[in-house]
Amino acid sequence: MSDISHLVQFLFSGITVGSVYALIAVSLVIVYKVSQLICFAQGEFFVFGALTMTTLVSKGVPVPLAFFLSIIIAMVLGALIQQVLIRPMKNTSVGALIVMTIAISLALRGLALLIWGRESHVLPPFSRGEPIQILGAALQLQILWIVGITAVVLLLIWFFFEKTPAGIAMRACAENPYGASLMGINTQRTTLFAWAWGSGIGALAGMAVAPMLFTQYTSGIMPMVKGFIAMSIGGLGSIVGSVIAGLLLGLVESYTIGLISSKFSDTIVFALLMAVLVFRPNGLFSRS
Amino acid sequence: MEKNGHILTISGVTKTFDGVRALDDVSFSIRSGDIKALIGPNGAGKTTLLNAVSGLNPPTNGSVLLEGRDVVGLRTDQIASLGMSRTFQLIRLFTINNATVLDNVLLGAHMHLKPTLFGTIFLRRKIKRQEREITQKAMDLLKLVGLEKDAHAFPGELSFGNQRLLELARALMTDPKMLLLDEPASGLNDTEVEEFTRLLMTIKQQGITILIVEHNMKLVMNIADDIVVLDFGRKLAEGPPSAICANPDVIQAYLGVQSTECGVPL
Amino acid sequence: MNTLKRYWWLILLAAIAVYPVIGKPSPYRSGLLIFAGIYIILAVGLDLLMGYTGQISVGHAAFFAVGAYTSGILTAKYGFSPSAAMGVGVVFSATLAFLTGRPVLALKEYYLAMATLAFNEIVVTLIIGFEGLTGGASGLRDIPPFTIFGFSLLNHLHYYYFVWTVVVLVIASALAVVRSPFGRALIAIHSDEQAARSFGVNCAKYKTRAYMLAAVYASIAGSLFAHYMGFIAPDDFGILTSINLLVMLFLGGIGTIFGPALGALFLKLLPEITYQFQDYELLINGIILIVVLVFFPRGLFGIFTALRNKIVPRMGK
Repeated sequence: MSDISHLVQFLFSGITVGSVYALIAVSLVIVYKVSQLICFAQGEFFVFGALTMTTLVSKGVPVPLAFFLSIIIAMVLGALIQQVLIRPMKNTSVGALIVMTIAISLALRGLALLIWGRESHVLPPFSRGEPIQILGAALQLQILWIVGITAVVLLLIWFFFEKTPAGIAMRACAENPYGASLMGINTQRTTLFAWAWGSGIGALAGMAVAPMLFTQYTSGIMPMVKGFIAMSIGGLGSIVGSVIAGLLLGLVESYTIGLISSKFSDTIVFALLMAVLVFRPNGLFSRS
Repeated sequence: MEKNGHILTISGVTKTFDGVRALDDVSFSIRSGDIKALIGPNGAGKTTLLNAVSGLNPPTNGSVLLEGRDVVGLRTDQIASLGMSRTFQLIRLFTINNATVLDNVLLGAHMHLKPTLFGTIFLRRKIKRQEREITQKAMDLLKLVGLEKDAHAFPGELSFGNQRLLELARALMTDPKMLLLDEPASGLNDTEVEEFTRLLMTIKQQGITILIVEHNMKLVMNIADDIVVLDFGRKLAEGPPSAICANPDVIQAYLGVQSTECGVPL
Repeated sequence: MNTLKRYWWLILLAAIAVYPVIGKPSPYRSGLLIFAGIYIILAVGLDLLMGYTGQISVGHAAFFAVGAYTSGILTAKYGFSPSAAMGVGVVFSATLAFLTGRPVLALKEYYLAMATLAFNEIVVTLIIGFEGLTGGASGLRDIPPFTIFGFSLLNHLHYYYFVWTVVVLVIASALAVVRSPFGRALIAIHSDEQAARSFGVNCAKYKTRAYMLAAVYASIAGSLFAHYMGFIAPDDFGILTSINLLVMLFLGGIGTIFGPALGALFLKLLPEITYQFQDYELLINGIILIVVLVFFPRGLFGIFTALRNKIVPRMGK
């Protein structure tokens, strides 16, 4: 392979990984916007999405149906968690809330262990076919799926927040919950809705990369951490910021692994995060 | 040091928030040992001025001389250690980890103890002795404000008025030269205001200079040696109570209906 | 009764001291108790930082790692005596906490959580990366046993007494800190940073001091861990360990010193009960924690004190 083909290959893997980070970051941001809460259990939805779909497909359920069923299951799970476990914790400290979501993630991980065991599972690619050759680099078809799904999700989110009454209500809730409730917006329902969305998108991220990963019950931890990073670099509450940060993170990772060192790529990523937090606490893309 | 007998001299203090001038070139000074009142309509910049003086929110421009030393640019805790203490308009007591009323007052001694980690762990005897001494002093102060029975209660269990008194005791615990009080009498009933007036006079007799922001004009007229009136971030007038009462600008801008209170100055 | 209330800790000490003699624990059980002791040291330090000073850390295991690897590397590769290596680890951890404390602790809530998490990962990835020194992902072997005054700790019993002696010292010093003017300043910072500043508390300095003390405890815990195990690997010090510490804090009752100690003891002894259904352990941990958070926000220690107050009626103050 030539140098250029290497660079292109790194670009592909960077965009793939970056899309996943972006999706997870967006799922975190949606929940954060309405609940002012970062849910440490988001990585578990990633795992549940991937493994539910794998199981369904292996049982002979057609791929499209399995796809939607898995998303719906994750959404119901997320809404349920919000309703039963998060809602009663309204007036507690940030620390207690963080630990609550950690508790939920432990329980979900434990549940995943019971359902799917300790082994890894692979989902067949969404469509068969040879990788496309571009400038000497191989582009797997699943990457197109991943990028396509990410794009569609982001478009839907944009449309939802900008054009639909429910989305505008959700934005109002995020900006001023009290004012929103005065205006007759049902903040509880909106919050529930946001959790369902967030969980669904988290699951989607897992499903999209499931054909390229060996997913097991602990697989949610690293994607979740990277999603956090993207979210923090993008500014905690910004969807656009975290999408850009997610893609950027994927690219930085891919190129440092490829060109500099695979050993220290995570060191660099986390050092970058610390630098952003210390020097630009409102996110890399914030004004002023 | 106490040049002209002035303990605090504020000159040209300006504070802008996003281009809006909350304080506009405010200057005045306070004689050592005086009670100076800062009055004016809501939003005139009174709390902003206190925050600028105490360093919580430093001024954009101007100087604040405490005993001749410019404190603008110093950290809040450094300014406090120079002998400036305060109470808050919205009560801010320490309530976490079951901190008691007594604990709140004891914290006032922090700047004199400056506890170190080493001393805390390895010089237990010294710490214990210190603790006995300051506890005695804290109890005396609680007695002064009438809260000695509540020493081991939690601040949240006190009435609103008593929480304000607790804030005062905490501020006195620092041995301040200068005390900034932000609406200390709001929410007190008439009897409590009277007791509070006597308390302020006692504090004054100890030689502590007081800058007080207050809406209760009766209290202000009773205790203030001198008054500054703020309006829209500017100094509108300054002078002894009788002069302020007679000032037509002040009556128009602020006193208006309240001017009956001025009928009985001092 | 009053004397009982005053000197109950003597009973606790006696119980710790005589347990191995009377209980004759198996090596497995002593091992659990030794791990529990090490985690108590970590949790108590984190409680100073989080429960008292109010600064969230999702990266406390970083200092656990620094202590363990300093001890491991210096004794296994450079022939240092274990106590000297532990001392170097303590100095190193305290310096690291001092240098990172100011910028990191200027952050709040989630930003602070993220920064501490990042710090933890940086330390772990550096350990994995510098294979030549640390043994990388496969771990560092052949760490000699601990020696004090020429006496080697050779069996579980020795380690049990040594670790629990350190536990007692750590708890005693932590209590000394929180029940002092120093601790009052920390609580003031936790309650209201601006107000604390108005009373002369140099918040950045005191936060950093609390962070340094927690780091020192964690470093000591790391050294003990390294010598007891004889083998350490990066997995023991990742953010999952840090998260486990948070769980211990809230499970036991944050901001009470004894609570987090109880939480650590409970979580580390739990395998004793749950080992028969291994695959359920994670789920059980999660559910226990959820139940505690929802129904007993003051944790196990809160339940304990409530029970004590019921049995022993409240003494007059």
